[in-house]
Amino acid sequence: MRRPEGFLDGAARALSTRLASGMTRRSFLGRMGGAMLAATGGAAVAAAVRPEKSEAFHFCGHIWTTGSCPNPLGLPRIDKSGFPLRPSDGHPIDNLGRPVNGDGWPVDGSGKRLRGPDGEFLPRAPRTRICEEWTNEHYGLDAVMEGAWYRCCSGQVRKLVDCCSYSKKRINGDASLTGYCFNGRRVFCVMYYDSGLQC
Amino acid sequence: MVETFTSAVCGSRARQRLAIALFAVAAILASAALGATLGLVGGLIGTRTALIGAAALAFLAFLRETGMVRLPVPQSRRQVPERWQYQLPLPLWSTGYGAGLGVGFLTFQPVATFWVACAAALALGRPILAAGCFAFYGAGRAFMATWPRRREPSGPAAVEKLVGRASLVPRANAVVLALAVVLLAVAPAAGAAVTSLGRGFDPAADGGTLARARMDSGTVRVLVNPPDPDPTDTFSPATSPALDGDYLAYEDDQGIKVINWRDGSPLVQLDGPYSSPALKLPLLAYIRDDGAYERLILADLSNPGNPTERKITSVRSAADLGRPALRGGRLAWHRIVRGGSSINVLNLATDEQRVIKRTHVWMESNPSVTAQRIIWVEHRPQGSYLRMRWFGSKRTKTLTHVNGRQTFLWTTAVTGRTAYVTKWTPSTRKSVVLRVNF
Repeated sequence: MRRPEGFLDGAARALSTRLASGMTRRSFLGRMGGAMLAATGGAAVAAAVRPEKSEAFHFCGHIWTTGSCPNPLGLPRIDKSGFPLRPSDGHPIDNLGRPVNGDGWPVDGSGKRLRGPDGEFLPRAPRTRICEEWTNEHYGLDAVMEGAWYRCCSGQVRKLVDCCSYSKKRINGDASLTGYCFNGRRVFCVMYYDSGLQC
Repeated sequence: MVETFTSAVCGSRARQRLAIALFAVAAILASAALGATLGLVGGLIGTRTALIGAAALAFLAFLRETGMVRLPVPQSRRQVPERWQYQLPLPLWSTGYGAGLGVGFLTFQPVATFWVACAAALALGRPILAAGCFAFYGAGRAFMATWPRRREPSGPAAVEKLVGRASLVPRANAVVLALAVVLLAVAPAAGAAVTSLGRGFDPAADGGTLARARMDSGTVRVLVNPPDPDPTDTFSPATSPALDGDYLAYEDDQGIKVINWRDGSPLVQLDGPYSSPALKLPLLAYIRDDGAYERLILADLSNPGNPTERKITSVRSAADLGRPALRGGRLAWHRIVRGGSSINVLNLATDEQRVIKRTHVWMESNPSVTAQRIIWVEHRPQGSYLRMRWFGSKRTKTLTHVNGRQTFLWTTAVTGRTAYVTKWTPSTRKSVVLRVNF
């Protein structure tokens, strides 16, 4: 079975090739920008869309510089509020990496709540935000989710999100960059949110 | 000793046999007592430290025995006092000789292996087992007092033959020490010794008695395994056992019952939405689910007909307070909410509440306590970890762990230096109780 990052990377490469061969740079950016505007209805977000190329891959849409934020399953896929999702399909997961239902209870592959050895339902595990809780607890920071930029991955708009802190070091251990952070914060680690909007 | 235990020295063949028997018994008892003491001390100082020390010592002894390094060995140059056999009655001097040689360190030690064995007994951390192992040292002393003379009636001649083979000893010893280095290095005590005790979950332990729940044909029952030779007692339908001596608390369809598990006589019955009892008479802790809230209640059963209740904490029903633990004057519980989890302890004497571990990320659950320690399970995406901490220390030790998300550790129990933990595999619905000696 392919690893999620391999799948994403492969999809991104394929997409890049398709885009490069079948679409001008201007038409690609126009389509993605339009999708974003439709999704958010905000000029401020549109301003964040930067015309850059995706080069070497960290995960699709992100060049390999600042590393991923700590997360349950290896790739920092989040929902719009910053909570962890399963990278392969975007299903909500708890902090232990188990799929959960809408109320946060752990479920099996068919969506039934998991039970303990006594037949009782298992309790909910914590489900907390990758940047504000995971990163801060692991590294003793005051990080917050701030700037974002957008790329087209697997045919949908992907929002790449900076987890920003006042730390001069980033998660890689070297000097941190300003990136899309503000108020003096710098990028500590990165996450992504797949919008589901076609691009 | 070969020259001492002759019929000439002892006075007759019958007295010779008596002297050898007393010598052997005294040597075995003395060495067993030494082993028990070392095991007890090892249990107090922690087996991991002692194990690393034992492995290092065995390696140094190996180098010494092979002649690669010259190292002094702690040594008493004395021999057993010869005058005893002239001044004391035979039962006394033969017993004294046995005891003196059995403890090892009072007399001359030609090799370093004895000290490695001492360190290994420390690393074992279990007095009875260490006593059993060390008894072989005393038996060896007794064996060597008689075996050289099996075909040689003359004591001095038997000793001469033995001395002629003395060059074999360092080589054989080096081989044994090399083996000891390997065994100590890979010993499970490097973390802790883990043994599966078979199917079951929700362990409860008190002294040598272990209770657990088990699912049989869709029915949950509680089994109590007292020390042999008593049979196993079973209570059904019942789950979530808690033990205090002869008393067992468990949860059933009606609520919570407290009974004398030896004769089945009831002590207290609490009917209602009560679950997860923890018992240390006259106190009983349990969870009361009011629908909107889960509350941790501490009841005083001094007057079983009219128990008094005290609410310790509460959470909304979507959160979890789990299975509390009550022992050594402390009440422990976990608190798992959407935003994090914590392990909490209430000192019942001072009413002081402490948070042992709090996290916004992992799931800390299912604590158990003794007067000195607390154990609990920490769940992470990579696996689950059985953690232990001394009250008075901030250092956390991992007793055992399982990797991955397919199988995880669950409810715990602890008594003395033995922990129990449920290992649960949801996909196969298989749960076993593990014993972890630390």
